[in-house]
Amino acid sequence: MRTHGLGVDLTERARRAAEPLGRLAAVSGPFLVLGAVVAGIVFPETPASGQSRTASHSASHSVVARSKLVLSSGSLLFPSADPDTVPEVAATGGALTIQVRATVSAGDPVTLTVVASDDLRSGLDAIPASALHWTGSGPGFAALGTMSAAVPQPVGNWSGSGAWTGLQTYLLTNSWSHPTGTFTTTLLYTLTTP
Amino acid sequence: MTRAIASIAALLVLALPASPGAGTTTGTVSVSVSVAAVAKLTLSGSTVSFPNADPDTVPSITASEGALTIATKARTATGGPVTLTVMAIGDLTSGANIIAASNVSWTATGAGFLPGTLSTAAAQVVGSWIGAGSRTGTQTYQLANSWAYATGTYSTTATYTLTAQ
Repeated sequence: MRTHGLGVDLTERARRAAEPLGRLAAVSGPFLVLGAVVAGIVFPETPASGQSRTASHSASHSVVARSKLVLSSGSLLFPSADPDTVPEVAATGGALTIQVRATVSAGDPVTLTVVASDDLRSGLDAIPASALHWTGSGPGFAALGTMSAAVPQPVGNWSGSGAWTGLQTYLLTNSWSHPTGTFTTTLLYTLTTP
Repeated sequence: MTRAIASIAALLVLALPASPGAGTTTGTVSVSVSVAAVAKLTLSGSTVSFPNADPDTVPSITASEGALTIATKARTATGGPVTLTVMAIGDLTSGANIIAASNVSWTATGAGFLPGTLSTAAAQVVGSWIGAGSRTGTQTYQLANSWAYATGTYSTTATYTLTAQ
C-alpha cells in the first residue's frame, strides 16, 4: 500500500514537475514529449523490493494546426515614369519576400491569396487594380498574377505542413491615360488552412 | 548598430502572429502610385517647304513635305486642359523682303486638331483636349500665293508648345 501510495505521490510530483513544460506544448508540440522525458529522469519510479507493481504511462502529443505569414514590407511605392520609356513601372522597394509557415494534417491544402481593397484611387480618379500585376518565384508560388479588387488571386498553393519562402515582384502597367495624382489602395493577403 | 536595431524593429512589426487552429492568417500591404504631370510632343518633320508656283494657277501652295504628323501625349488632372499651339518667331524674310506670316495657314485632321493661320503676335491653337491621353493628328500647311511677293528664299521658324495643366 505504501508503495502504491508512494507511486501515486511520485506520479503526482512528476506531473507537477512536468506541468510547466506541458504548458510549453501550447506553444510548440514537441516540448510536451520533452517534458515527459525530463519528468521521467527526475522522478524515476523505484519498485519496492519483493513486490511487483505495474504502472502505465500514457502520453499524448497534440499538434495544433497553425499558420504564419510574414511579408518583408508593408508598402509598395511606384514612382511616376514616362510610359514611352517605362511601360512597366517596378516598385521602388524591389521584390516582396513572403514567408509562409503552416502546420496542418498531411495532404491538407495551404493557400495564399491576395486581393485589393479597391482600385487605386486619388480622389475621384481611379486606376484599375488590374494595372497591378506580378511575377512570383519560389516553390509553390504562382509565377504570374494580376491584381483584382473583386476576386482574391492565388499567390501560392501548398500541401501539408511546411515552411515556404518566395518572392513577389509587382509591376504597374504605365499609361498616358493615367491622370495625375497619388493613387492608393491596400492589398490583403490571406493564408488559409483547413 | 542603429541600422540593425531598426531592421529588427521593422521585422517585429511586420511579423504576423501565428493563428492557432484552423482558419486564416492575413497581412496587408499598402500601395501608392505617383503620377506626375508631363507632356510630350512629337513632330514627323522639322522642315516645311513651299516651292515656287504661278499665283494664277496655284493660288495656294501646299507644302512639298505633305502633311505633318503630330503626336501629343499628356498627363494631367482629370478634366485638365491640354493645349497645343504654334507661333512664328517672325514673318518670312529674305533679306529685307518680307512675306507676312499670316499668309501661312493650315488644315488639320484628327480629333481635337484645328485649322488655323500662323501669327507672330499670338500663339495659335493647333489642338485642344481635356484630360490625360495620347492624340495624333496631321497638319497640312499652305502658303497664300501672290504676284506681290519679291523674289527670294524666305524663311522663318514656328514654335510648337504643348501645355498640360
